Amino acid sequence: MSNHAILPSRRQALAGLLGAPAVLLGLPADHAAAQAGGTVSFIGWSAAVDQVRAQISAFERATNIRVNYENFPWAQFRTALVTRLVGNAPIDVSWVSDAWLPEFAEAGWLADINDIPQLMRYNAEAADYCTQSMTYRGRQYGLAYYGDHMSFMYNTELLQRAGIAAPPTTWEEVVQQSLRIKQQGISEYPLLLSLAADTWLIEFVSALTYAFGGRMVDDQGNAVMADANRGSVRAARFIREAIATHRIVSPGAVETPEINGLRAMGSGAHAFGIVPTYRIRALNDPSQAQAHGKIRVALMPKGGPDGTNATLGWIRFYGMTPGAKQDRARRERAVRFMEFFGGRDTAGAYSMQKLLLTDVGLPSCALPVNDDADVKTFWDRWAGGGAVIAQQATLARKKDTISPWFGEWVETSNQAWQAVCLGRAEPEAAMRTAAAKWTELRRAFR
Amino acid sequence: MSGALERRPGPRRRPALGYDERNAAILVFPVVAVLLVVAAYPILYSFWVSLHDIVLTRPLRRPFVGFDNYLRIFDDERFWLAVSRTTVYTVVTVAVTTLLAVLVALLLNEAFPGQRILSALLLVPWATPSVVNGLMWKWIYDPTYGLLNALLVQLGLLERYRAWLGDPDLTLLLIANAAVWKQMPLAALLLIVTMKAIPDDLYRAAKVDGANVFQRFIHVTLPALRPGLMLVLVYETMISIRHFDLFLIMTQGGPGDASFTLSWLIYVETFRSLRFGTGAAMSYVLAMATFLLSWALIRWLGKRI
Repeated sequence: MSNHAILPSRRQALAGLLGAPAVLLGLPADHAAAQAGGTVSFIGWSAAVDQVRAQISAFERATNIRVNYENFPWAQFRTALVTRLVGNAPIDVSWVSDAWLPEFAEAGWLADINDIPQLMRYNAEAADYCTQSMTYRGRQYGLAYYGDHMSFMYNTELLQRAGIAAPPTTWEEVVQQSLRIKQQGISEYPLLLSLAADTWLIEFVSALTYAFGGRMVDDQGNAVMADANRGSVRAARFIREAIATHRIVSPGAVETPEINGLRAMGSGAHAFGIVPTYRIRALNDPSQAQAHGKIRVALMPKGGPDGTNATLGWIRFYGMTPGAKQDRARRERAVRFMEFFGGRDTAGAYSMQKLLLTDVGLPSCALPVNDDADVKTFWDRWAGGGAVIAQQATLARKKDTISPWFGEWVETSNQAWQAVCLGRAEPEAAMRTAAAKWTELRRAFR
Repeated sequence: MSGALERRPGPRRRPALGYDERNAAILVFPVVAVLLVVAAYPILYSFWVSLHDIVLTRPLRRPFVGFDNYLRIFDDERFWLAVSRTTVYTVVTVAVTTLLAVLVALLLNEAFPGQRILSALLLVPWATPSVVNGLMWKWIYDPTYGLLNALLVQLGLLERYRAWLGDPDLTLLLIANAAVWKQMPLAALLLIVTMKAIPDDLYRAAKVDGANVFQRFIHVTLPALRPGLMLVLVYETMISIRHFDLFLIMTQGGPGDASFTLSWLIYVETFRSLRFGTGAAMSYVLAMATFLLSWALIRWLGKRI
């Protein structure tokens, strides 16, 4: 028998040392609960923290399993999670972005759930696009936390003041209407684009690329973003002209992160904007936005000769670590946790999905949630109805740049798009730079 | 007496360490041990890391590549871009900080009503945490609600609000301004201390010789300030060349690549691209550059003291 079987591990020894005083002092309650139901370690970014904590309390009451919950800011989350995974930190379940799936799966940091019917059964009730976004090389790696897409939003009051009867249906109309609004002195920069070089930039420019009828990467994984007939170059040219020629987008867009863009749209300073759909709740909330009650969603305008109403969609999901899956007890607890949060709770309701939608505005991947009366009331109250949002959701496509090298490539891509915005590079040249980096990283990965 | 007792003692061997040295060694040992663990080991380990191709997202492969990471850095055009940005930033920051510090030190070395209060207030920027400083200046420069825009528009010097940090020609200078605001007080304090040590006799003798204020500054104050100036120049250069926090908070290396400095490149390579091997190699290059520059400054200025 090896020493490993006889001697306690460092972690067990430490747990014993820490636990001994508790036993001696007679501190039984939590410890006993942990002994009875065990503990699941969950790590997420600091979003919807109150809702997560509320659901954790419900989960602990329902299952007698304790939850160790840690959260980090979104901007640092990937690095924080990776360093913990590399260091074999005892994480059972984590929130994961669809953008990280290939690199995490290739690194062996996520366990697939194909052999866990208790979780796989939820695919029957999930939007197909969500399931696809959690799948890599034929294996599914989680259960959805939420799924959202980029929406084209407009301010009804500003359009009304400018005498515009209906929101634009093409990006050419967006320019025309914006110029009209600008000329009337209603808004200096009618179109809001948040183009700071952060994690949101690729989401915004991908949405525009799709609307201009293009792609960044084809089905074979080849970079096509530099192709003049694809959407990226056209979208890049549109942004450049909107800033420099038409002056309908602020030059400050390059230093506007998504959250500041949200505030700007909420202040009523802009007539149009590309905004994550879940922000509609905040934008129409009197306690959060001056423009409350005036922000509505239209289908993504079509751009150029091949334009479509397509937009970018993304999902975030609950992923299980291989360490948790390999240990039978940990796996059982992790599965119950994932089901309670990403699927139905012990009462058979999608309680977390509904809570996230009605409290925060995060759209659910679970189709039955959309039929809930409270959810319909939510959309009516905060978005003037959910029909357009539902229609846009069917036209959402995941990022075609998601790959094991996405995290590294996106740095070059962000710089290329910003160079276009600043007029430091022609759209074709900037996209060639991004494409070259893509090809280089793809080759290196092989 | 037995022969054994009569044995002649050999020459007394001096112990390697005397009583005092032994006690000193024992007392110093814990500190040395701690330093070895928290300083020497990480330094040596990071050098070891720099000799491997470590990408965190590919945890199963970490081949030894010798100095390939270092060679790769010098072939990387981002590196040379970052070097040029860092050079501009460092030269501007150090020059302006030093110049302003000399002027402030000259002012505060004089006796006038409120001098003590002004000296105390001087410490406020220095005592402000770097993150707060970065956020404060980011808000001042903000294109929609920034103080700078409001001030310039109200004074009629600007027609409409500008995106200051969104202008790639200005970004580095604006960040340098934030750095100078924070670093100048310490530099001024160091120079004031040096000025206080200049004997009054020198000024009196210069006055007798007919030297005016400017001549007294050139021929008396400036030569005597050299030790303080050397300290300020070396310290400010070391700080500026490695500056990171302001870039993280204010621009994230942007817009485009306008503020893409060496420390930002190292951050991107290490914590975003998760390439720890090349990130460590870049860190060593930056550390060596800082060391060599400081050494050159000390040698150059030291000869003139």
